Amino acid sequence: MKCTVVVGVATLLLFPISLSSQTGPMTREEVLASVYPGATVEAERVFLTGEQTQRVSELARAEIESPLVARYVAREGGRVVGRAYVDTHVVRTKPESLLIALASDGAVRRVEVTAFLEPREYMAPPAWLRQFDTQSLSDDVALQRAIRPIAGATLTAQSATEAVRRVMAIDEVLEGRGRR
Amino acid sequence: MGSRLRLLFLPALIVLYLGVGVTASAQSPEVTEPAEAEASAEGASQDDIDLEELQRQLDILAEEVERLRSGEQPIELTDEDARAIGLAPSAAATYERSAGVSIAGYGEMLFENFAAEDEAGQPMGSASQFDFLRAILYAGYRFNDKFLFNSEIEIEHADEIFVEFAYVDYLAHENFGVRGGMLLVPVGLVNEFHEPTVFLGAERPVTEQRIIPSTWRENGVGIHGSVDGISFRAYVINGLDGWGFSSSGIRGGRQKGSKAKASSMAFAGRVDVTPAPGVLVGASLYTGGSGQGEIALDDREFDVRTTIFDLHGQAQIRGLDLRALYARANIGDAAELNQVLGKTGSSGVAEMMDGGYIQVGYNVLSQSAEAGSVALTPYVRFEKVDTQAMMPVGFDRSRSTENTFTTVGVELKPISNVVVKVDHAWVTNDAKTGVNQFNIGLGYAF
Repeated sequence: MKCTVVVGVATLLLFPISLSSQTGPMTREEVLASVYPGATVEAERVFLTGEQTQRVSELARAEIESPLVARYVAREGGRVVGRAYVDTHVVRTKPESLLIALASDGAVRRVEVTAFLEPREYMAPPAWLRQFDTQSLSDDVALQRAIRPIAGATLTAQSATEAVRRVMAIDEVLEGRGRR
Repeated sequence: MGSRLRLLFLPALIVLYLGVGVTASAQSPEVTEPAEAEASAEGASQDDIDLEELQRQLDILAEEVERLRSGEQPIELTDEDARAIGLAPSAAATYERSAGVSIAGYGEMLFENFAAEDEAGQPMGSASQFDFLRAILYAGYRFNDKFLFNSEIEIEHADEIFVEFAYVDYLAHENFGVRGGMLLVPVGLVNEFHEPTVFLGAERPVTEQRIIPSTWRENGVGIHGSVDGISFRAYVINGLDGWGFSSSGIRGGRQKGSKAKASSMAFAGRVDVTPAPGVLVGASLYTGGSGQGEIALDDREFDVRTTIFDLHGQAQIRGLDLRALYARANIGDAAELNQVLGKTGSSGVAEMMDGGYIQVGYNVLSQSAEAGSVALTPYVRFEKVDTQAMMPVGFDRSRSTENTFTTVGVELKPISNVVVKVDHAWVTNDAKTGVNQFNIGLGYAF
């Protein structure tokens, strides 16, 4: 018994030493500053029309919970270099907010968690979120296709994938790009 | 008054906005709010100014609503704030955070039809069973950013109530926490992730029932965390109770947190590596005494050290679901334990038992965009379990404890939260007592 307790306590004490990198939610400002360094970022709130909402839903193959869209437009020298959107959705019973940063052509540049109110162990790890980088709106942006699931956090993976598709569809509709 | 109290006054704010107007303001610290720059354009008419002011106010409200929806800003009340709304501080707790209580759950129902004869053609008594295996509610509460409570309350077979886990978690660091309470023992692939929508098969793998006795939970404390694709958990928990061991495994040794004997403690831990999304490999270890001070012969006490380790891997790539696990349990002082338990011959507890499986499934709808979230996954699992792989001197192996299970089935998920599974398991052993079975399962998780 003593041996077991000693091993256990030693493990409890030694593990934290190697911990350093941050994996918790970031603030919007932190994400925007790292994705669009040097750019001027302007906040916008856009209200989707009924027609736009329907079009987005078709493109995203996902429900649009609110026509209120929070987005940030990044400019360098007056030229738009990207747009970032906040998507808030329910994972299991609690909300998660993702800041989904796009390039000017609508491709994903970064997805970061800005709020996660489910137990932390269900939060998508950064390496999993990196799967969305450079993805553009297509049928391949789906779980078990280009996006692999998260072991033990199926609902997190499902809701995040839907969110990215939804944001790319909103951007496509608002910016009037193809697939019309 | 703290700015976060605005939630309470949002309805009033909207009323004011619709009526006589408001003077509140809100700013994002590092970004430009365009509406603010648009106010008071020189030379504009009064109507234009009113319109711009309305636009500005609308933008403020939109920002407020969106921020509140996002869950990014907890709402904090001072005691003065609480008094202002007529509540004592504790009674006002529900106002402090929009996300305090968390409720979720899952359940599974299982129909089993057993073959009329065993391998040798001997008639079997059992025929069919229809069981509401599990109905579970998760309940949690997040006290603040650092502390949370999480629990799983289970009703098993519709009439047995268990607490499967209940712990307080202290999130000391973004990727490190300390928890204490009744904990799921962190071993294997199924024990911690045992919702029916997560594993393939109407029934859990036999290895993860007999060698790893899921759902295995005990009381204890420990740490958990993750860094750079590596996650770990390490707990000190009460040990198993050797009085419950048998020739068919250690499952009966679980204490399930109920007045658990704690003379023999144990260590349980695991490390998992995720080299790429959807791919996981790892190992876990449990070691501790199972004697609990009660296994003694001739005034000599035996620790009955029980060590279980497993190696596991899982890959989920483009509709393919591949899993493999090997688990082995070593039990010290097995001969003495058998003597104390009064077991003889082939009914004894083994010195070593092991089992493993390899399982593959493929979602045939995974590459179809039209299928949406519908998944149809045929699967096959090959499994071998031997609960008497090595017997202590003086005891014999039973020819019926080394079993091979070949399971072929299909699962349908109309949505990701609901699953229907149909499979057939062929069971064989050297004693020719294996009984095949056909299963239909219904599961849900929310």
